[in-house]
Order: sequence, then C-alpha cells, then structure tokens
Amino acid sequence: MVAEVFETFREWIDNRHEYARAWKERAGNKVVGYFCTYVPEEILYAANILPVRILGSHEPPTVTEPYIFAMYCHLCRDCLAQGLKGRFDYTDGIVEGQSCLHLRQAFNAWRLHIPTDFAYYIHVPHGIQNPHAIPYLTQELAKFKKALEDWTGKKITDEDLDRGIRIMNRNRELMRKVYEYRKLDNPKLTGLEAMEMVLSSQMVDKEEHSKLLERLLQELPNRKLDRNPGIRLMIIGSEDDDRVFMKNVEALGATFVIDEHCTGSRYIWDDVIPHEDRLFAIASRYVKRIPCPSKDWPEFTRLMHSVRLAKEFRVQGTLVIQNKFCDPHGIEIPPLKEALKSVGVETYPLEFDVTVPWGQFRTRVEAFLETLTGLEELF
Amino acid sequence: MITAGVDVGAKYVKIVLLEDGKNVLTRANGIVEFDVRKSATEVFEKALLDAGLKHEQIVQVVATGMGRKAIHKISPINAGEVVPEVIADAKGTYHLIPTVKTVIDVGAEEGRGVKVGENGKVRDFVINERCAAGAGTFIETMARALEVRVEDMGPLALKSANTIPMNAQCCVFAESEVVTLIHSKVAKEDVAKAIHDAMAGRIASMVLRVGVEKDVALIGGVARNPGFWPPLKRELNTEIVVPEYPEYVGALGAALLAFETEGQK
Amino acid sequence: MAQIKEYPTEPLKIWNEAKQLRSKYYEDYLTAYERGGLRWAGGAWSFSIIPAGLGEDVYCLTGEPHGATIAFFKDFAAKCHDAVEAAGFPRTLCSYMRNYWGSILLDKYVLADGTVVDGHPAPDFIWQDHICCSHGKWYQVAKWLEEKKGKKVPMYCVDVSVGYPMDKPLEEYKINYIVQQLNDGIEWLEKVTGRKYNDKLLCEAVWNEIKATRLWAEICALNQAVPAPLDEKSMYSLYVMGTLMKHLPECVAFYERLKAEVEDRVRRGIAAVANERFRVITDTQPPWGFLQIFREMEKYGVVSLGSLYTYGLIGMWEYRPDGTWTPKELPPRKPQTREEALKMIVEWTVNRPEWAHFYLPEAKTKMMLSIVKQWNVNAVLLHYNRGCEGLSVHIAENRLGLQKAGVPVFPFEGNMGDEREFDFTGTLARLTAFFASMGLKN
Repeated sequence: MVAEVFETFREWIDNRHEYARAWKERAGNKVVGYFCTYVPEEILYAANILPVRILGSHEPPTVTEPYIFAMYCHLCRDCLAQGLKGRFDYTDGIVEGQSCLHLRQAFNAWRLHIPTDFAYYIHVPHGIQNPHAIPYLTQELAKFKKALEDWTGKKITDEDLDRGIRIMNRNRELMRKVYEYRKLDNPKLTGLEAMEMVLSSQMVDKEEHSKLLERLLQELPNRKLDRNPGIRLMIIGSEDDDRVFMKNVEALGATFVIDEHCTGSRYIWDDVIPHEDRLFAIASRYVKRIPCPSKDWPEFTRLMHSVRLAKEFRVQGTLVIQNKFCDPHGIEIPPLKEALKSVGVETYPLEFDVTVPWGQFRTRVEAFLETLTGLEELF
Repeated sequence: MITAGVDVGAKYVKIVLLEDGKNVLTRANGIVEFDVRKSATEVFEKALLDAGLKHEQIVQVVATGMGRKAIHKISPINAGEVVPEVIADAKGTYHLIPTVKTVIDVGAEEGRGVKVGENGKVRDFVINERCAAGAGTFIETMARALEVRVEDMGPLALKSANTIPMNAQCCVFAESEVVTLIHSKVAKEDVAKAIHDAMAGRIASMVLRVGVEKDVALIGGVARNPGFWPPLKRELNTEIVVPEYPEYVGALGAALLAFETEGQK
Repeated sequence: MAQIKEYPTEPLKIWNEAKQLRSKYYEDYLTAYERGGLRWAGGAWSFSIIPAGLGEDVYCLTGEPHGATIAFFKDFAAKCHDAVEAAGFPRTLCSYMRNYWGSILLDKYVLADGTVVDGHPAPDFIWQDHICCSHGKWYQVAKWLEEKKGKKVPMYCVDVSVGYPMDKPLEEYKINYIVQQLNDGIEWLEKVTGRKYNDKLLCEAVWNEIKATRLWAEICALNQAVPAPLDEKSMYSLYVMGTLMKHLPECVAFYERLKAEVEDRVRRGIAAVANERFRVITDTQPPWGFLQIFREMEKYGVVSLGSLYTYGLIGMWEYRPDGTWTPKELPPRKPQTREEALKMIVEWTVNRPEWAHFYLPEAKTKMMLSIVKQWNVNAVLLHYNRGCEGLSVHIAENRLGLQKAGVPVFPFEGNMGDEREFDFTGTLARLTAFFASMGLKN
C-alpha cells in the first residue's frame, strides 16, 4: 500500500502535464504555472486556480539561447525551454514571486515570447529581516488578489482565502508528519521517496495529494524498508529535483534523512498562522518562512536552520548541491560548511548542471561516505 | 584571371585556385604544423602543381582562417588581403547556393553561424565562445575515448535509435559523461549518437542566436559527418543543404573575393 | 579612395583633477582614523546620502568601483580570485564581490594607482543596498570574513526590490517601504556610531546627489555631437566620481567644471577620436583589465560614445512628452526636512535608468534605442558580462529588441572583473569580423 502511494507520486511527476490537462477538463478551471516557492499558492487556490510549478526536464535547453545568456543557471533555462517547447501550453497564466534574477529572466522571456493570458510578477520583498516587509507584502498581495479577480471575473472572499490557507497548511502539515519518520534510526522512507512526495505536491491538486498523504501516514508506521539505511545524509541546495542523483547516492549505502532546499523541507516547513487580515497572515508566512538565500541577509538564518535540522535528524554528513551559476546559494557554501562543522557535520559540495556526470560524482560521493565511516583510518 | 583563396584553419590549410571567378581549377589541403607559413606554402605549391600553374600566374591571393596573418603580405604566398572567416564563408556559400540565407560552418576548433544577405554579404553572425563542444575537435576527442576512427563516428551514430541526454555546455564535462557511459556498458552506437546529439545541440543553440532562415547550408570539415546531419536538422527544425567539398567553401569565398578585388582595380 | 576625415583632438584639461580626486578618495578611506573620522563600506547604489548625515568626516568605500579598480590591476586581481577559491567560494560568483573578498582575505588594500598596501581597512559599519541576488550577501560574507579577523562590523541593508516605474510612478506604499527602511537606518546609525544625526547634512547630501546625477546626464547628452567630444574609455574615469561620492559637493563642482569643458569642446568641434567615422555604444561594465580594446576599435575609426551603463548608472534621465530622452529635471527645491529628503531621494533613485532592466527588459531596450537615435549610433556592442548577473540580466532580450529595430548588434562574452574569462585576442578577431561586415577596415 505504501509502495502504491509512492508509485502514484512518481506517476504524477512523470505525467505532470497529462494530470494538469485532465484536472482542467474535469474542474473547468484555470491552471497557472509558477516558477518559485515565493508565489502564495493560497491565493491561487482561493481563486479555484490550480498552481503547478514549472520545472525543467534535465535535457540540454538548446532553444533558450536567444532569450537567456547561458551564464544563467540551467534551471531557469530549462524552465523556459519547457514553455518554448509547448509542454505547458495548457496553462492559462504564469506567476512569479520575486526571488532570484535567474528565474526572473525565465518569467520575462516566457511573458514576452510565449502567448499567455495572464503574467503576473509579485514583488515579494528581499528584505525579509526588516519589520516593514510584512506590511509591504500585504499590500503587494492585495494588488495580486485584485489582478486575479479582474482576470477570473470573480471576487475572492475571506472564506475563499481561508479555504486556500487550509488546503496549503494541511498539505504542508501532513508532509512534515511524514518527515518525522525520517528521524528514526531506520527511516521509513528514503530521501528519494521524500523528494518525490514533495515534488509531486507542486504539480497536482493539493487536496488530492493530501488524501494520499493521509493514507500514507496510516500505513507508514508499519512499513519495514528492506534496506540498510547506511550513512545518514543531509542534502542542501538550491532547487534540486534530480531524482536520479538521489537514487544513485542512496544505492551507495546511505540515506538522505533530511534536506534543505525548495523541492524539499524549505517548501513545507512553515504554515500560515490565521489572522483576521488574511492577506497579512499569508504575507507573514512568506516573509517569515525559511528563506531562499537571495533574501537571507544580514543574518544567516537559513544556515542556523540547517544546523538545527542536522542536529534534529542526526545527520552524519551533508552534500551541498550547488547549481552552477547560482550566486545566492554559492555565496553561502563556506559559511554553511563552517556552521555545520561546528556541530560535527562534514560537508561536500557538488556542482550541478542540467545533466549530472554520475561517474565523476560517484567517486567523490563514495570517498566522502568513506570518510564519514572512518574507514580511511584502517589504511 | 586566376585567383587563389587560402583558408588557414586551426588544423588544416585549404586552398582553392579559381579561374575567372567561376571555374575551380583545383583544391588542395594539408595539416597545419607549428610553422604555419611553411605548412601553407607546401599546400600552395601542391595546388599549383596539381593545376599545372606557376606562382606568377596567380593574380591575387586572399587569405582567411585563424592563421591568415602568417601569409598576409609575407612571401612566398604573399596574400594581398585577409578577410575574417565569416566573410569568406558567406561569399563562398552564396556562390554555390544563391538562395542561402543561413550558413553554419563547423570546423576543427570553431563553430560559426552566418546570416547571408544580398550578394553574399554578411548580415549577422555568431561564433562559439571559447568552448570546443561545438566543433570537430570534440568528435575527435570522443572518438579516441570510444576507440573508434573519426571517420567511422558518423555511421556508428546513425545505427542508434536511442537518446541519452548529455551536457552540451562543456567539452570536458561531456567527455566525463562519455567515460561514465562506457563504464556503464552502454552500446557504442548509442554513445556515438549522444555525442553527435550534444554537439548538434551546442551548434543549434549558437545558430539560434542569429536565427534560422532558409535555405540553410552546412559547411566546414564536420559537414562531411553524416551522423551530424539528423540531430542538427531536428534541433533547428529545418532542412539543411551540404554543398560538395564543404571544407573548401571558405577558401572558395576567399578566392572569389580576390577576383572581386582585382576586378575593382 | 575617399580621404578619411580627421577631426582636431585635445586631451581633457580636467583629466589630472579627475585622477587626483579619485586617488584622494581611496587614500581618505584608508587614513580616516587619522582625522578622527568614520569609515563605512557598501554599494555604490547604497543611498550614500544617509551616512553623510553623521558628519563631514565620514568616508566610504563603495564596493563595485573598488572591485573594478582591483580588476584593472590584473595581477592583484588574480591573487584575489585564488584566495577566494581557496576559501571554498565558486568562481562563477560576481567578480567585483570576489575581488573585494580577496582583498580582505589577503589583508591588502589597492589604491587608485595600483599601489598595494598591507592591511585591508575594515569599515566601522556596513551600509548596503540589495539590488541583485548578491548585493546583500556580498557584505554579509564580508562581515563574516572581518569577524574571523577579530572585528565585529555591524551591517544594515536596504531592500529596494520594489520594481521600476516604466510608464507611471511607483505606488506610494512602495516608496514608503524604502523610506521607512532609511528612517530606521538613521536610528540604527545613531546607535552603532554613537553620533547624533544631522538632518541639515542629509538635505545637503540629497541635493548634491540630485545635482551631480543630473549634471552627469547633461555631460553625456553632449556626446550627441558629431564628432563626439568624449570617448567611453575616457568617460569611465569621469563617471566614476558619481559612483564614489555623488553626495559630496566636490563631485558637483567637478561635474560643473567638466560640463563647461565638454561644452567648449563641442563648440570648437574637438573630437575624442580624430578619425571618427563609426559610432557605437556598448553595454554593461567593460572588461576592466582590457580597456585597450577601445583603442583597438579606434584603429577602425570606431568611437564608443558610452552606454546606458555609463550614462544611466549615475546619470538621471527621463522622457519628455515628445519622446526625447533627456536629463531629468530637478525637483522644484532643495529638501528642508528629513521626511522631504528621504522621499525625494527614493523617488529620484527608483527612476535610475540602470534599474529598469532588473524588471522590464523592454524598458531598457526603449532607452537604448533612444540613445541609438539621438546619439546617431551605428551599432551596439553588447558585453555578455559573466561577472555581473545584475547588469547582464535580460541582455539577450535587449539584443532581440535592438535587432528587431534594425540596429546592428555585436554580442561578446567576457567578465568585468575576472581576467581569466575574457579572451582579448578572440574577441578582437570577432570584432574585426564585425567591423569588416560593416565595411570598416583598419
């Protein structure tokens, strides 16, 4: 039964476009593609719109060359390539929640070159550590809400917003409960399975996803994974949906027991806390959530959070996934390394591109795992 | 009037002797060694011998290619003018295919995309930036890794119907991925196809910067590789024409420009 | 063959003054404590008018110009890159930032003439802005590096990510968001420095900046003349004053004198490049270690008149109702109160031309086309700058926009601050091919 649930998550990821098309036909409502997890999906659900995350396909994005200079990360180019190839042609609009320059380019190139009914950019503040960010974002969200109302021709009421908040909070809460099972000595799920759980939530109706999570949580306590968990690893990075990499590393005698990136825990860690002013409540969540490094200054709050996660999940080592050309995440590598080392956790950075040279990476990961087991002392 | 076009490329010298701006009297080529001037001179003398001509009968020489400066106003070839490759490419291709609008030239070290206007003039161009993943050397390096002769790489690739995505940003990364595939016992033809797909992707990516307009011609040494044509056509979504003697088109263009220069005197 | 026209040329009289002003700036920062002064470090974008209210003995080191200075001296830059990579940072990060961090790691400080002195002068506080993905984090790491050397440096960073006012002004709440941060920043400065804030100095600094940035635009507008009185390479040494000290009266005075000299050059037909016959503009920062590329271009009679970067990073511009792109009109009067000063400078700053492309590539394309038309430009050279994500963002869209309008465009890859990533010979070969396609010969 548990296997069936994870199989469904995989199918949803592999057939994301078919799912969205079928949803659209069934529900008769709009589908909106979004690039970054700073888009407040609560408001889209409130408008009965299905938000789907635009992610790449890990094929070299040849077609994007006229629109984005190749010095920008593979993710933003891969995302744009999906649009240019027509794979998201069922979407009625695109929304971006201000984060990095790279995805901003993908959004604007899409807006300029791919016909779309609705293209909206929410200026989510970068200054999330300053007290004015929440009132500012509240007003930005009011503007966004109005734009959605004008587009759909339907007012978004407080009840609608409550519903949107409930849907998102419930889904996040359930996934966090599943994450608890990763703390065990013998985790009930692999890192790959956890990634597929979170990834699939970004592609489907979260109410449907939550139903499956509820089933999973009933069965998970009884699950016995027929594998040696091996070394307890953490994966930290920019956006990472490289399932092949996760699978390959876990086959070397390790388990990713926790992650810190935006197709993982960063997406689900924080909820909207109810407040009379619903937009204020949503704004508060997006300002106070575990931040993308592009917004995390002057203090290193994300680093401190990563250290807490490493302790809570009893991590032995960390693989840092650096998307080539990503400045915000790349900047944090040495301070991150130092912070984790201070609690006895070693890190190993790997540079990711659109495809991954597993041969090279395997050698490095194996060597890293060996240093964690102390085998090198035998020689 | 007999003119000569000398294309001193990264690896090969190509020479065309042209009569009255239209009849190709002979073509000759040779490897570029450390002494570039000497290598070019040897091939030039070979061309003269093949055509039964003396040096004095050549009215004007125009040089192009990476090493053109080695023979510009330097004896014995003494090229009177030098032109950048894109100018020679456009001229030469237009002469062979007057309907051409886009020229893709893939040589040993460089890949170029050229938009051609009236009379073979260059409207726009792009050259691969510093990375050899989009040039002939890439295929040669990969052929060594696969223990296959360079000339067999294309036919080998054509035997495969599988697609394996490979990093097309960097030759060095791509080689690393090839090594991994070899160790994973992936069939040689599949690896060969992946290599050609990656290179075509890189070239197509570059050409898309200037845009693709029909008719599209492919020239340069790599144009002789049949394994390269299908993925390039697929990436650019267009038919591609490969003229006869594609590696000599630059030299032909230079010889035509020499004829035009003399005609203007 | 037609005779190539030769225009009269003259060196700029103000040249030495420019050099001295810049030298003094870097020396003053180093020796600030000798005068009982304060030192702060931050971006050139950073509302330098705010710390100016702490007194007339406050010296700043703006990061981007300093990163450029380091890049100009390639040997030192190479050492900085090595140090930063050895510390575990990826080499693909912003090259100005890596140059700055390298200085800290090496504990060295480079002066304007390339003299490298021992001891990197740590700031008393960091006053930064966040305009791209790296800016806030640049100094976050600088602070982290200083801490390792035993100095705790407090940091404040202003978020300006509110968008760009393309066809209409930004909403009040967006302006207020920045104004509130600046207000809080003043309180923070008082706390960390122990000094009482002087609103009169703030109002002076705001008015100086507004005047200086308008003056620079007026100077750039003079380059519409044929022949152009200034070439871009020379302009770098002049516009830089605006990146260092646009809030200071010295900068205003300098630009006033420069403007008078350039007006005189226009009146007398003095050219920057004697054989000017092809006018180009560039884009983004140049590869600072290889500025001789401009002199190579001049062999073809090509003069670079500037760029949206040279004109619009410091200069302030606006569109008139008739569609002309012109230096921005000054506000009606100098601000009298803190409230007025903060609102005025924020409204002024968000209109910065080099802010547009962060949000709307079409806004930048529009301005570039205005420059092409009004400055009589024949072609545009786009520097696909691997060293700066912020200024290169959407550059491919600008290329498409320019080409659509029929403007010849030559893109080339490089890096403003990392000399390893600019292929001088290769770029020159490509440029030669481009000029040949334009009918130009050496």
